[in-house]
Amino acid sequence: MNHSSAKWNRHGYLFITPFILGFLVFGLYPVFNTLALSFTDTTIMSGEASFIGLKNFQRLFADDFFMKAVRNTWMIWILNFIPQIGIAMLLSIWYTSARLRIKAVGVWRAIFYLPNLLMPAAVARLFFSLFSFYGPVNQFAVQAGILSEAMHFLQDVTATRGLVVFIQWWMWFGQTIIIIMAGMTAIPIHLYEAAMVDGASGMQMFRRITLPLLKPILIFIFVTSLVGGMQMFDIPYMLTDGRGSPVYSIMTNNILMYSKFSSSKGHLGAASSVGVLNFIMTTLCALGIFYFLRDKE
Amino acid sequence: MRKSLLFLMSLLVIASMLLGACATTPAEEPAAPAEEPAAPAEEPAEPAEEPAPGKTVLNVWSFTNEIRTMAIAFEGKHPDVDVVYTMIPMTDGEYQTKLKSSLGTTDIPDVVALEAAFVKEWVEADFLANLNDLLPLTEELQTFPAVVQVGTHDGVAKGFSYQATPGAFFYRRSIATECLGTDDPAAVQAMVADLDKFVATAATIKECSGGDYFMVGTSAALFNPFLANRAQPWIVDDALVIDPMVEAYIDFAKVMRDEGYESQAQQWSEGWFAGMSDTLVDADGTPKKIFSYFLPTWGLPYVLIPNSGETGGDWAMIDGPLPYQWGGTWAGAMANSPNLDLATEFIAFVALDEENLTNWATGVYTNEYLAAIDPDVPEDQAQPPGDFVSSQVVVEKITSTFDGSALAEWLGGQNNYEAFGKAAPKVNGALLTGSDDAIQRALESVRDAYLNGEITEAEMWSQWLDSVRNEFPDLLIPDPPAAD
Repeated sequence: MNHSSAKWNRHGYLFITPFILGFLVFGLYPVFNTLALSFTDTTIMSGEASFIGLKNFQRLFADDFFMKAVRNTWMIWILNFIPQIGIAMLLSIWYTSARLRIKAVGVWRAIFYLPNLLMPAAVARLFFSLFSFYGPVNQFAVQAGILSEAMHFLQDVTATRGLVVFIQWWMWFGQTIIIIMAGMTAIPIHLYEAAMVDGASGMQMFRRITLPLLKPILIFIFVTSLVGGMQMFDIPYMLTDGRGSPVYSIMTNNILMYSKFSSSKGHLGAASSVGVLNFIMTTLCALGIFYFLRDKE
Repeated sequence: MRKSLLFLMSLLVIASMLLGACATTPAEEPAAPAEEPAAPAEEPAEPAEEPAPGKTVLNVWSFTNEIRTMAIAFEGKHPDVDVVYTMIPMTDGEYQTKLKSSLGTTDIPDVVALEAAFVKEWVEADFLANLNDLLPLTEELQTFPAVVQVGTHDGVAKGFSYQATPGAFFYRRSIATECLGTDDPAAVQAMVADLDKFVATAATIKECSGGDYFMVGTSAALFNPFLANRAQPWIVDDALVIDPMVEAYIDFAKVMRDEGYESQAQQWSEGWFAGMSDTLVDADGTPKKIFSYFLPTWGLPYVLIPNSGETGGDWAMIDGPLPYQWGGTWAGAMANSPNLDLATEFIAFVALDEENLTNWATGVYTNEYLAAIDPDVPEDQAQPPGDFVSSQVVVEKITSTFDGSALAEWLGGQNNYEAFGKAAPKVNGALLTGSDDAIQRALESVRDAYLNGEITEAEMWSQWLDSVRNEFPDLLIPDPPAAD
């Protein structure tokens, strides 16, 4: 009996070894390398590099720039995430509701998921053209009387942030719907039937049955969205000039990092320091989410 | 049978887990990897052709297919050489990224093309080979000083260009006749000869048209001219220097915006192109016109003419208020290249060979000519006549061949080559540094917010300086200029 269970364990270890090796080399090593780089003044264009301790980090806090990037990233992510979860949850409830019995749910799900398949670069460029000063949105808005005169959408802080939030929401709420629906259909239907027999209202069923049983799924969505949100890059980069125009209002952590190593000498050390702080911030927040949403048993 | 099937399935599962570990952490929104420059490439890089066996291979990388024409001509002169040409677009910086990531690997090219926006970065670093041996050729061909200045750093020449790119001021003859009373280039030049006259003419044009005609598409068009006429470059002794011309530019842009002398169409936007063909319509549906465009040599055949719609013949070109240069392609050799001598010869052919430059500029390199040397050449590979070359000797020799050319007709009879030939020696190439692009883009980024009234001038300067300080950790940043 013991002999055969030992054999089973060995096979298990063998199976996961390739993944562990791959993760160590391609996932974990870069993290440590970035950490090491952040303590140096390495640049791409020159061969010499020296250890400079915490200077990169000090410089990050010397002015408000880095904190501005952090604030922007958080703001855009939160503004995008709340409607995303809210609307995805609402749609999921409707689609899985026995009472409403919506037809062709699969088709609706596919349609909402489609924006996720688009290339972010193409979407950003599209919105750039749509909202330019002489572009179609201005033309339509002025001629329909919504605006009195053409507006520089992409030079207005609120409008540009709004556009980024909207694009992110539009591209990702379909995926959230799919995941939530998968979680909801896993909830045994007899729980709802029992609740209906006991006279529970829709709201009570939602709060007492659906939400608690969806918690693992919600944690998953929360954490993956957080990680992705903290690393948001492609849409804000391609929408305006790659520097977070207007006035650095859509400059996110990764845009700041990119600008540090893409300009002139390519300051890898400075860029890595942004990466390290981003990593620490994301890890702390993710751990916080796990802690506060844990099963309190 | 079943056991081997299971075994194969297990292998497949292991392989997929290995690949899963290699992928970047799946996040809800795609993550940019922390270290490697991740530029989203819009067009795939064209794969390098297979080198022909038995010949010496020369690897040339460029961001357009222009030099490919000269590469084929070079192969014609050197049948024992096979030039393997790789084109990587630079629309979103893919070319620069690919170049930088090739450093330190064995995948480096022998010859690289470097555009004006990043040529100085490379010339100032240590990765390009010393090409001082080619300097005597520049004397022979009387290469325009600006071209050599840009490609040289600390007395070492590392890049040469086959082009000179002085800038010009292109204006619509019909609008000039209507609002300024004349379309004669000399007369219009007198009206825009300096910045004060330029602004006064802008006012005239606005008044004459009731605000429907704009002097320029955007005041950003004059950023380059202002910068080209500074007394000092951006960086002197590791400190940022804000030349008075930079502040003058901001004041100028504010005037142009507040008074309505610019159409506010960003450069390279649809509205900016629409102004070239007279199809610009504002949000109300009112047609608008743009009087002038600041464009350099390559701007004429590649930007203005293709987008000019029906307005051909209604244009003219003059020097404008300030001499400047814009763009250009330099060719350099990588110092670690195994074929340095051949690479140097190639660069000498491309940029410093009288016959090649003459053929290039006069349109000898037609598709038929190239196909005779290399039958696999793509059908659209050819060099039409008109590119302004970097050698004064060649320019003087061929200027008269452009009288009555299609380009001259488009300019209402003016010989553009002659006009550029006069402008080219005036350009100062000594002000460029490798950090220019980032510093200038950072300023452009906040300038528009200031012009829109979103931030004050003081805020604009301080935000710009914050951005520069963050992108250049080792640079000394001065105090912001006093806002008026």
